[in-house]
Amino acid sequence: MAVATKAETPPSPPPPPPRLRRLVYRLRVLRHEPTAALGLILVVLLAYLVVAPLVAVLSDAFRVQYGDDVHAGQQAGEWTGYYLWRVLRSQISGLLFWEPLLNTLVIAVGTTLFALVIGGGMAWLVTRTNVPGRKWLAGALVVPYMLPSWTFSLAWLSLFKNERAGGQVGFLQAQGIRTPDWLAYGAMPIIITLGLHYYPFVLLLVGNALRRIDVQLEDSARILGAPRRTVVRRIVVPLMLPALSSAVLLVVGRVLGTFGTPYVLGLPADYRVLSTGLFQSIRDRSTGVASVLATVIVIIGVLIVFTDMRLMREHRRFVTVGGKGAMDRLGDLRRWRWPAFALGLLAFGVSVLVPILTLLLSTVTRTPMDLKTFTLDYWFAERLPGAVGFPHGVFRGAEMWEAAWNSLRVVGLASLICAVVGLLVGYVVVRGTAPKVAAFLRQVSFLPYLVPGIAFAAASLSLFAVARGPIPALYGTTFLLILVMAVTHLPYSSRSGIAAMTQLGVEPEEAAQIAGASWWQRMRRIIFPIQKGALVTGVVLPFISGLKELSIVIMLTTTGTQLLTTLSIGLVDYGYTQLANAVVLVIALVSFTMTYLTQRLTKSSLASGIGG
Amino acid sequence: MPNITLSGVAKSYGGGDYAVKNLDLTVPDGAFMCLLGPSGCGKTTTLRMIAGLEQPTSGTIAVDDRILDSVERGLYVPPEKRGMGLVFQNYALWPHLSVRENVEFGLRMRKVPAPERRAKAEAALRMVHVDAAMDRYPSQLSGGQQQRVALARMLAINPSVLLLDEPLSNLDARLRLEMRAELKRIHEESGATIVFVTHDQLEALTMATDIAVMNEGELQQLAAPMEMYARPANRFVAEFVGSPPMAIIDVVPPGGGRASTGLAASLTRFAESRVGPCAPAAVGVRPEALRLGTPPSGAGWREEAVVEAVLPAGSSWTVRLRVLDTELYAVSYTPVDAAPGDVLDCWTEQMHLFDADGIRIFSLDGAEVRA
Repeated sequence: MAVATKAETPPSPPPPPPRLRRLVYRLRVLRHEPTAALGLILVVLLAYLVVAPLVAVLSDAFRVQYGDDVHAGQQAGEWTGYYLWRVLRSQISGLLFWEPLLNTLVIAVGTTLFALVIGGGMAWLVTRTNVPGRKWLAGALVVPYMLPSWTFSLAWLSLFKNERAGGQVGFLQAQGIRTPDWLAYGAMPIIITLGLHYYPFVLLLVGNALRRIDVQLEDSARILGAPRRTVVRRIVVPLMLPALSSAVLLVVGRVLGTFGTPYVLGLPADYRVLSTGLFQSIRDRSTGVASVLATVIVIIGVLIVFTDMRLMREHRRFVTVGGKGAMDRLGDLRRWRWPAFALGLLAFGVSVLVPILTLLLSTVTRTPMDLKTFTLDYWFAERLPGAVGFPHGVFRGAEMWEAAWNSLRVVGLASLICAVVGLLVGYVVVRGTAPKVAAFLRQVSFLPYLVPGIAFAAASLSLFAVARGPIPALYGTTFLLILVMAVTHLPYSSRSGIAAMTQLGVEPEEAAQIAGASWWQRMRRIIFPIQKGALVTGVVLPFISGLKELSIVIMLTTTGTQLLTTLSIGLVDYGYTQLANAVVLVIALVSFTMTYLTQRLTKSSLASGIGG
Repeated sequence: MPNITLSGVAKSYGGGDYAVKNLDLTVPDGAFMCLLGPSGCGKTTTLRMIAGLEQPTSGTIAVDDRILDSVERGLYVPPEKRGMGLVFQNYALWPHLSVRENVEFGLRMRKVPAPERRAKAEAALRMVHVDAAMDRYPSQLSGGQQQRVALARMLAINPSVLLLDEPLSNLDARLRLEMRAELKRIHEESGATIVFVTHDQLEALTMATDIAVMNEGELQQLAAPMEMYARPANRFVAEFVGSPPMAIIDVVPPGGGRASTGLAASLTRFAESRVGPCAPAAVGVRPEALRLGTPPSGAGWREEAVVEAVLPAGSSWTVRLRVLDTELYAVSYTPVDAAPGDVLDCWTEQMHLFDADGIRIFSLDGAEVRA
């Protein structure tokens, strides 16, 4: 039996053992605890895949590239301000930079306004009014976001294309109605088609915010004597500001990096934006200029996200999170109910039915939309007269299937890598054996979020286009595609990984450890099985988004590594409108079906994945 | 059967703050030891260091002759190789495994063949009376059942060292009472050495064979329960063990010098009349040792008390008294027939005397003087 032992003098902590002893002990512990090693591996991996490309593109922007030594008057490889000068101050800088910048701003502002009006209006309709079929509308109006963003631009061309560019003309022109250039190409069509793609974004963000506003806040104002209009102006709108500003900034950020639509609708009329300018510089092998442009896009992207985070933090100080007061109380539209429903239906029709039907019809008629010329040749014909590079229907021949297989392989692997790395990042962060490693992983895995995809692809090209040290040149390989796609989707998967691991906590693993399970057994039998759901969502969400991805992959694919999206753009380049449309329809169908099934099966809402 | 020894164990999370400071502790073979203390006293950290889930900054932890941790000698055995059982405060049952699979997990890790594994898991579940829920999942169980499954999961591997981290704190009062008896029975049946962390002194007193009271990372006292109750090593232990807590009256008044009037002076005079001059700095009286009415033989200390409030609690009565201008509580197990404002006699034969460092000098119990 133990005896009372109370030290006469209060014990003070013993002097820590010598540094070397402690080190030996630490190493002994680490040998049994692979978390630290895993953390280090992830740090190296992320530093190489996320940080290094950005450093490389920045350095390329200020180093004389091969072949430019004559123009720059410096040796290749030397530090230079030549490209900066060329982009910002030279005679061609208007063409290279200022005009595309202005166009980008016009499109960003226009698209945002368009998306705000439609998305905000529809959000109000489906969350705060008794419009008929509001549940259905709420779901249906999100569909445009499930389609590839440039679907709308192809549909637009099918309707309004004139003879300016080669290939088949659009429906109106075929009817003998001349479509002027401003209607067929340039700012207006780009704004409308991008707006149609991005308004669901606003709808979801604003809708969620509207749903969360505590009705009691409005009631209090009413009771204090404020008329309805004042309540909206003084209470609802200020409370909506964070969601609104967030939606605005995110749409602007997306538009900044979007490639497909301005490429399809802008380039035939020489209407350039920053993303297409960047693409052309890369095509022309003006690496220095491309690097400057990419850097500028990165900087604007970073500024946008920081502004958003800043605003969110300031707003958070006074935003109330509704408790039970956030009940659904719907405004009665009375005799405007059915007109409102018609309006919702119109939005759905214009943003989903019209583009899809237009594309579909264009692929089954020889003369645009003329059902008398119905044909399935563009889908199934073994031989398509006149089409040189693609002389058969999309389902014939190897091209489409190869591209589909590539898409599946590349996007599938990238999503898998992304989900696993995301979960491992979450694991290391939550285990928290090394706070500095955790902080690094948390921040760097979030970094690609700040960088528009097309700029990140350019940055990756800077790093991986040539052999560096033991790593061979990766340009043109599917491996590079997989890497870049995985990295650009990492912010979402690492965030959800951290959330999932935080929720789980460390105790289930510790319990397994005590029960005698080695690290590998713990991973295999405890962590991964418990996180199965999170892992599946972590694969599926990047997969859906990656399948539609164009801006990231457009610069990285070569003829050998076509994906569905780049194949479609390639067909647009050839002027094979119907074939391009057919491929886009295939993408849209797959992406829509997968999104729908995922929502059904996992009961997750698209809103949670809206970041993607 | 093992003997757990911690020598010179310290744990710092950096920044000069120590969760555990220089702990020397031996858990005797077959003991049911409670680590008792307020939250943040380092008791859970100590338990986790024994389990191997945390590593000491310095010191040695061993079971018998097997050194599990020695910073000085660079030795470390990972938790999965220590062969101990641990029950977490929140049970940490694996949600994706059924009750049976949860319990079989440890056996599976030890490569026990399936039929034997099954039999052992069932036996462990029978021992804690949840064999009926064997094929359910943890989320389908009540809190009490989850707790029992966590126990069974630990018992199935028949470890010689059982560690329990506040396992009863999430149970309701009735279940807690039941599980205390259950744990005591399991201890007797298995003969294992148990280390049990709790902040509930009643839990410690009722179950433990030994109690280690900790505060601010230091061991305050290590003793058998009744021993600790009768001879608390210092003021902290005296106040922490026992409920309601012991009243400790400072002899030296705030102004300095020695008071000749007041409750403390009265108690001191009584103590010195028994043992001669001893100059305590504080005197403690347990509420349950303070009696009301006339002392039987006139042997104890007695004083007049004014009743301020009577608080009946079913089996006992707590009375708030004012004695020589000092507030005191008394607990009586016989009905108290008094109203606020009544003047009664109160008396006691038990008191504890402390020196200026808070260390107990001796205790009086009737005629006995305990060092």
